[in-house]
Amino acid sequence: MAPTQELINVKLLLIGNSSVGKSSLLLRFSDKQWLPEDEASATIGVDFRVHKMEVKGRKVKMSIWDTAGQERFRTITASYYRGAQGVILVYDVSNRESFEALPRWLEELENYVPPEVVKIVVGNKLDKEYSRQVPTTEGASFAQRTGCLFVEASAKTAVGVTEAFSDVVARIIDTPALWGDEKPKASSSKARAAAPRAPESMPGNIDLSQAHDEEEEGGCAC
Amino acid sequence: MKTAEVPYAADAELSLSFDELQVLRTQYEKELAQSHVTTQTKFNYAWGLVKSPIREHQVEGVQLLADIYRSEPKRRRECLYYLALGHYKMGNFDEARSFNSRLLEREPTNLQAQSLDSLIDTALKREGYVGMAIAGGAAAVGTLLLAGLIRRATRK
Repeated sequence: MAPTQELINVKLLLIGNSSVGKSSLLLRFSDKQWLPEDEASATIGVDFRVHKMEVKGRKVKMSIWDTAGQERFRTITASYYRGAQGVILVYDVSNRESFEALPRWLEELENYVPPEVVKIVVGNKLDKEYSRQVPTTEGASFAQRTGCLFVEASAKTAVGVTEAFSDVVARIIDTPALWGDEKPKASSSKARAAAPRAPESMPGNIDLSQAHDEEEEGGCAC
Repeated sequence: MKTAEVPYAADAELSLSFDELQVLRTQYEKELAQSHVTTQTKFNYAWGLVKSPIREHQVEGVQLLADIYRSEPKRRRECLYYLALGHYKMGNFDEARSFNSRLLEREPTNLQAQSLDSLIDTALKREGYVGMAIAGGAAAVGTLLLAGLIRRATRK
């Protein structure tokens, strides 16, 4: 269980299609800033930020891995999944396709993180209400069905952004399974793929969890 | 600024496990043997190499990235970024700066390139101080030698 006084380390992951606003959510959350769409550039591989905040009376140091949504970075980004305690799955409420991609993202996650990892579905770009393509109820029921938390947010107006991050952390603190029997020194790579499964790799993208599967089969103790 | 405690070049600093790098290498060599290497495979392997703590790996990774940069215009931005990261990691700060500046020219508001830029700045400054310290040390030794010579000369 998470102890009361110590600083808790938590590893979080941002995933979702490209251009849904993962980096913008992080920039709003950690720097209280916002870059207009034409100035924001697509993340290359992964970006990383540390943010400290208090959740449920505990001091929490969050290491947040912001992954590129573009397909061609999938091998790179997937190598950062392992050890995550919380995952923020982002879609754009004004882009149906990004919402419909969520099951695939969840499936990919299963290759790398155990089922008890806390997940939240975040419908971003709430400020684009006028061109909404995914109703709130649909997002909420998807989240419920798949065992995820849910919030709609806008990195532009800051609505829902802090909640998205603090809700995940609160749930992580309440999930003893994520802390093992040790003290929560977090980001320990304790979390292993629950069941190694044949990954449906994208063309040219390699699933690095293969390395771990082979390790098990080979049983090399050298 | 909080940049100090944040390892923004995290992607370069964390290396893959031996097995993970091996997966990427195997795929690359397999395609090489079939004499058709896809850009994706080459890029993945180059990335794995740049992350490695072993210098020969880093050198090879940077070479592969330079290849991709020349042959794949669509991949230029990520090549520039990882070329800069690779050189930064190897301590070639001038090369790192030049690749990163090219990325910044194309994307002035790119936050990853901006933070890498400040990392390179810090590294260059540190190197400058060390250089000055060495030069300063050399000057001090020189002065002592000179003083000794003068003293010996005047004693005669």
